[in-house]
Amino acid sequence: MIENREMRDKLRKWREENCRNSEQIVDVGEELISEHASKLGDDIWIIYEQVMIAALDCSRDDLALTCLQELEKQFSDSHRVKRLSGMRLEALERYDEANKDYDAILQDDPTNTAARKRKISILKAQGKSAEAIRELNEYLEQFVGDQEAWHELSELYINEHDYGKAAFCLEELMMTNPHNHLYCEQYAEVKYTQGGLENLELSRKYFAQALRLNNRNMRALFGLYMSASHIAASPKVSAKVKKDNMKYAAWAATQINRAYKYTDTLKRHIVHLGGHAEAAMKQYPLPVFDSGWLVAGPRRTNAP
Amino acid sequence: MALLLDSNIRLWVVLPIVFITFFVGVIRHYVSILLQSDKKLTLEQVSDSQVLIRSRILRENGKYIPKQSFLMRKFYFNNQEDGFFKKTKRKVVPPSPMTDPSMLTDMMKGNVTNVLPMILIGGWINWTFSGFVTTKVPFPLTLRFKPMLQQGIELLSLDASWVSSASWYFLNVFGLRSMYSLILGQDNGADQSRIMQEQMSGAAMAMPADTNKAFKAEWEALELTDHQWALESVEEDLMSRELDFDGMFSKELPSGIF
Repeated sequence: MIENREMRDKLRKWREENCRNSEQIVDVGEELISEHASKLGDDIWIIYEQVMIAALDCSRDDLALTCLQELEKQFSDSHRVKRLSGMRLEALERYDEANKDYDAILQDDPTNTAARKRKISILKAQGKSAEAIRELNEYLEQFVGDQEAWHELSELYINEHDYGKAAFCLEELMMTNPHNHLYCEQYAEVKYTQGGLENLELSRKYFAQALRLNNRNMRALFGLYMSASHIAASPKVSAKVKKDNMKYAAWAATQINRAYKYTDTLKRHIVHLGGHAEAAMKQYPLPVFDSGWLVAGPRRTNAP
Repeated sequence: MALLLDSNIRLWVVLPIVFITFFVGVIRHYVSILLQSDKKLTLEQVSDSQVLIRSRILRENGKYIPKQSFLMRKFYFNNQEDGFFKKTKRKVVPPSPMTDPSMLTDMMKGNVTNVLPMILIGGWINWTFSGFVTTKVPFPLTLRFKPMLQQGIELLSLDASWVSSASWYFLNVFGLRSMYSLILGQDNGADQSRIMQEQMSGAAMAMPADTNKAFKAEWEALELTDHQWALESVEEDLMSRELDFDGMFSKELPSGIF
């Protein structure tokens, strides 16, 4: 009984936080469905959906098919279920059939955003990034408020090295989420990668903003240090700008040192307490950097 | 004035009225769910509402993006020749109840599910439980309320605080609202006062008809907005004190650092 409830709560937490831990979801969900199906009541449908998507992620076609069949039996005419069936076809790489499914949904309901987004993901999966970008742009013209889509578009542009347009998308995200330090930091990285004095100054400012929003963002701290030193080292700047940037870089360096000392004292504290240094190191990993990290690379999002 | 009421009144009048009101409310809720018609929005309406939201966000949070980007977007919206708000004119059909058949049916459905049962049951209760006093309201009332609250009772000297069953019924209708929220969840179809409120404010809203006006209002508001960059002195602000690394390496924040 208790396990049942615990499993349901875990699944609900993962659903609400949009976590992509598909293997865990499949484990928990499969057990829940096979053992306790009758005790779940109406929750079972949303659990079927969640487990099915996780199963597709883990290549568990058998499980996905069972979930889909249950859902189709219950909700025969639903767009939501049709989308799931399309996703299964996508997982089996039967893209044409999947496209037919999505087109059918769109004919019935032109405002259905889920079907459009799946069509764009098909293009992305097939590697047709130029077309995917074009379709996504058209989609965003209609649905300017879709933040997930803006983020996806920024990733696509970064992959195509079109940093100017990626910056535009990230600006949209920064406007709608002004307190999210991760968007500020990603924007700063894109600007840094674009290069040029103006962009470096902007990147330094946005690294600082990301730090202001979240003091613990080490990546932004390193970014601040690097952009400030880069500007200071550039031959074209005035003396005042050089001095200012050297001051910023020095401050950033002291903060970085402080952060490492902080972990040192933590480690010493833990070793002093229990002597379990190995376990402590595993629990509190030091940040690891290499020289290439500042190139704005594609980030894995948690969107399904 | 102290009156001793027959305790049978409590058993056979007060409680049944409470139950009747409650169950009628629950039935109303489910009936309204069954009769609910799907509101189909056109692509244009969805798109327009999102554009308006974006423009509003630009006005409010434009200070977080660089000045150049803000001006670029403002230009896109407000440009004299082909700015979005200047250029787009939507066909406006004000949905009056007479011309738009779906709104007419909606109104009728609203009336049938809410007002009609109330009147019917109120009348029936008045007819069944008439001729005696049901309960006493705890506060004193003036004589003006007597004909309203003491429907079947023809006693001139009776205190106006003693009310008949019909008034007890109406008291229940409004009082059980919180019970409905508890049992049926928020936003339930049995909540009459909320529906009446909606009817009153709905006449004043009529949003889809005014897309053009909304665009014009946004255009004006955006014209007036200036860009005050929030990041002007961000480095100085940041460096005014040491960074706070508390909780940096805690297990609960796997993404706190990056």
